[in-house]
Amino acid sequence: MLLTIREAISLGLREALNNNDNCFIMGEDIAEYGGAYSITKGFLEEFGKERIIDTPISESAIIGAGCGAAMAGMKPILEIMSINFTLLAMDQIVNNIAKLNYLSNGQMNVPIIIRTVTGGGGQLSSTHSQSLEHWYASVPGLTVVNPSNAYDALGLLRTSIKSDDPILFIEHGMIYRNTYEVPEEYYDVPFGKASTLELGDDITIISYSKMVCVSLEISDILKKEYNVSCDVIDLRTLRPLDSESIINSAKKTGKVVIIEEAHKTGGFSGELTSIIQEECFDYMDSPIIRICSEDIPIPYSKNLEDSIIPNAKYALTEIIKKLNLKKI
Amino acid sequence: MATKMNMPQLGYDMSQGTVIRWLKEESSSVKVGEPIVEIETDKAVVEVEAEQNGILRKILVFEGVSVPVGNPIAIIGTEEEDITEFDTLQTKDVSEIKVDDEVIEIKDSEIPDNNDVSETDSSLLLEDNNLKEDLVVRASPVARRIAKEKGIDLTKVKGTGPSGRIVKEDILNFSNIESSDIIESSFVKDNNDKNIPLSKMRQQIARVTSISKNEKPHFYVSCEINMTKAIEFRLQLNKSLESQGIKVSINDLIVKASVQALLEFPNFNAYLDGDNIKINQQINIGIAIAEDQGLTVPAIMDCGEKSLADISIASKDLIARVKNGTLNSSEYTGGTFAISNLGMFDVSSFIAIIQPPQTAVIAVGTVMSKPIVVEDKIVIAQIMNATLSADHRIVDGADGARFITSVKEALENPIGFLI
Repeated sequence: MLLTIREAISLGLREALNNNDNCFIMGEDIAEYGGAYSITKGFLEEFGKERIIDTPISESAIIGAGCGAAMAGMKPILEIMSINFTLLAMDQIVNNIAKLNYLSNGQMNVPIIIRTVTGGGGQLSSTHSQSLEHWYASVPGLTVVNPSNAYDALGLLRTSIKSDDPILFIEHGMIYRNTYEVPEEYYDVPFGKASTLELGDDITIISYSKMVCVSLEISDILKKEYNVSCDVIDLRTLRPLDSESIINSAKKTGKVVIIEEAHKTGGFSGELTSIIQEECFDYMDSPIIRICSEDIPIPYSKNLEDSIIPNAKYALTEIIKKLNLKKI
Repeated sequence: MATKMNMPQLGYDMSQGTVIRWLKEESSSVKVGEPIVEIETDKAVVEVEAEQNGILRKILVFEGVSVPVGNPIAIIGTEEEDITEFDTLQTKDVSEIKVDDEVIEIKDSEIPDNNDVSETDSSLLLEDNNLKEDLVVRASPVARRIAKEKGIDLTKVKGTGPSGRIVKEDILNFSNIESSDIIESSFVKDNNDKNIPLSKMRQQIARVTSISKNEKPHFYVSCEINMTKAIEFRLQLNKSLESQGIKVSINDLIVKASVQALLEFPNFNAYLDGDNIKINQQINIGIAIAEDQGLTVPAIMDCGEKSLADISIASKDLIARVKNGTLNSSEYTGGTFAISNLGMFDVSSFIAIIQPPQTAVIAVGTVMSKPIVVEDKIVIAQIMNATLSADHRIVDGADGARFITSVKEALENPIGFLI
């Protein structure tokens, strides 16, 4: 069946609510309004106000309450409207839900899913357009999921629901409408297993979330116009990270391009670069190319925003320049 | 305002130059266009002219000292001007030559293994960015690893990556082409064969010809040129020019014929600049000259308007100045097309390598008496074989055929040279 990412996530949430009586959804405007991104439209009517709960505008309260419910045996699915707002609940996320299992020597689990929206591109300005998932990827105890398409979104959500660990399920606001073929029959997508969406020999392109769409666009142009074939790797989860796929591909091609939407300084591409240089140094044929957002707050103005967040045109120019590629 | 005079770039691929002789002393006045210093490049000694009027205030590089291109060698200013701002520029004298030699040795050895560079040496290296760049063989890690595994000397591999970095593909290509060489070189290591280090000139020739063959897809077009009329024409012409002391050579006729062909087909008088063909304004015909040390290809400048007599005079002058080493830099680097003539040897034909950044070169052998068929009769004619080598990126085979035919027709109907 053809599903948008939005529909795939809605489908996964419905499955969770139908199959698990302990599961409930909580967040700002998710019940009466149907969610800021319409993911939970119609859920209130379908599942009732006991399980679809509108909360006050207090992210720390949402996650704090969710954490308590999870410790008491529930399966909370929390929606934080934007990853920018998770900063208000950073203590609950980093110090509470990520640590409790360790602090209690495994006596307690926090099987919580925090769904939130990352990225820019919608003219929402500097405080609503950041990509902060890599901050959470540096916290042991969290699972950080970043689907780029409907198949992965549904498959990873199913795995998240089965998991006993706290999950940050991070969607991208600009690709909800993208449509993909999704199997009717049940499947899931494991954590820590990247997918190689294109197979090639010359360059490895690593990305996740919306930048996978950019990577596929670039890979297509490189193949047609430059006779260069790319491995396009979608990380799918930043934590756990599928280092093996990255290393194998980097060893094969010797040339790696990492495209991410976060700012370059401290970006996840820096972490990937480090892994590659540690593991593949003697295989590398070129410095690793990092394509990231400029190190300035994401502007409101459309033309400025477009020029700061990586797009295919910019990425392609960089790759061609830095790898000395010649058109056929 | 006082300005620095820098070591000029006098040749394709020149990275260092040696000050041979200062023609002016400190405090003497210099005029634009006046030769003030003799610089030795890898191939020739060249007089370098002043680019501004003024006083040669300070000589920074003494005779016999070699510095990288772009380094200041002197300060030129007015008489009273304060030049203390240039005080940081150190003079370099012969006592430092030794250091320079060591520097060059470092370049040839592998950088990571180079633990024996003393501290003073490495601080000297760091002072000079040009030199430092020159020392490092840029190669990707995988290229280094494969080179090590296969015993390839990275300094011999040409890099095609960004900033000339040697990438994996370059090593693989090199090892495919040169695999027999590698076996040979490892064989040499175990052997007491006589070792002859390449002279600077040979190194330069090796570099330029390798670059040309790597970069330029050569193609070749050959033809036989009936020189019977040209030889007769030359004899008559020289008789009439005898009083003026001019003696036109066969080579001068070939130069003139080439100039005419270049005027007709300007793409052969061009070079490649990225994705553009640039047509040279002037036609400067390079003449390959064999010296004891090796080959030079100085150019007869601005041949477009020159008569046969003018060409002959310029050609003699050029050869004389190659012999006494007083070529100027534009003659040395300015060729836009070249002619290689082995006619003095008993060579029927040969193929030449294009001199970068030129597009083509014509190679001519000796003129031989041969039977040919004219109007169904066998007659004896004076035949010369000519082979054009051309850069396929700029011109195609059919263009090459038209070009060489134009040269052939001009030489077979030499009366046209007088028009």
